[in-house]
Amino acid sequence: MHAIVIDDSRAMRLILRRIVGQLGFEVSDAEDGRAALDLLAGMETVPNLALVDWNMPNMNGLEFVTAAREDERLRDMTLVMVTTESEQSHIVRALAAGAHEYVIKPFTSEAMIEKLALLGLVPTGANS
Amino acid sequence: MSENTPTIDDLREIADQVWSAYLDPEGVRPFELGEPKQPATAVSASVSLTGAWHGHVVVTCSSEAARHAAAAFLAMGTEEVGDEDITDVMGELANIVGGNVKSMLPPATLVSLPHVVNGASNRFPTTRQICELAGTWLDEPFSISMWQGRDAGVVAA
Repeated sequence: MHAIVIDDSRAMRLILRRIVGQLGFEVSDAEDGRAALDLLAGMETVPNLALVDWNMPNMNGLEFVTAAREDERLRDMTLVMVTTESEQSHIVRALAAGAHEYVIKPFTSEAMIEKLALLGLVPTGANS
Repeated sequence: MSENTPTIDDLREIADQVWSAYLDPEGVRPFELGEPKQPATAVSASVSLTGAWHGHVVVTCSSEAARHAAAAFLAMGTEEVGDEDITDVMGELANIVGGNVKSMLPPATLVSLPHVVNGASNRFPTTRQICELAGTWLDEPFSISMWQGRDAGVVAA
């Protein structure tokens, strides 16, 4: 299993890397949506999971989700928004653009793992 | 003050969530409310809110508290924490608090990227402090405050 963490905050990238890393994911990261698309374009295999912040410079999370959904190659990648944007309108926009789940910061490790489990992305026997 | 403006209780609720998630997940090192204190050496992180509401959200603490926050957030020992870790974590704390405050403000309010400085960054021209959650964490001064623009306030969205 492979995940990509997309967040302009290095601190948040480290937290998310730690959580999904503990679940057994190989983890890549990028600091904005544009950098993530560039990174993904160079990967031989597409990650199973992308954890995507909303507010980032260059290309924000909603733009990344939209671009990923329009890319046939990235079609099977599960997209989870991880953001402080908690208004209902934002959640609706993200899900309408193609995000599979929405996690609001601050979140606990348990809450994140629970969301991933609902998506079938917690490997059996993972350290949760 | 607008009836949409967050209160100290709102800040307390956000702080509780931040501590539970990142700074005190075990529930053994809580944020203790108390009188505001000026730390001898401080780190301040802020985000600005613009658009339908104008102001700032500021997280200020002692340098020692900032080091502990970085260690807790990044799951490392305090002796391993570097200046970049402190800057990143304090910025992210301001971003999380500011983002959650934004959700209580009028639609079309925007939140900036965080700004982190050494020192108590409580000088925002043409603003007034509208609430402050102050106290200590690990016996070190820690506060979260909101500042509203004097002239701008809430404008038509």
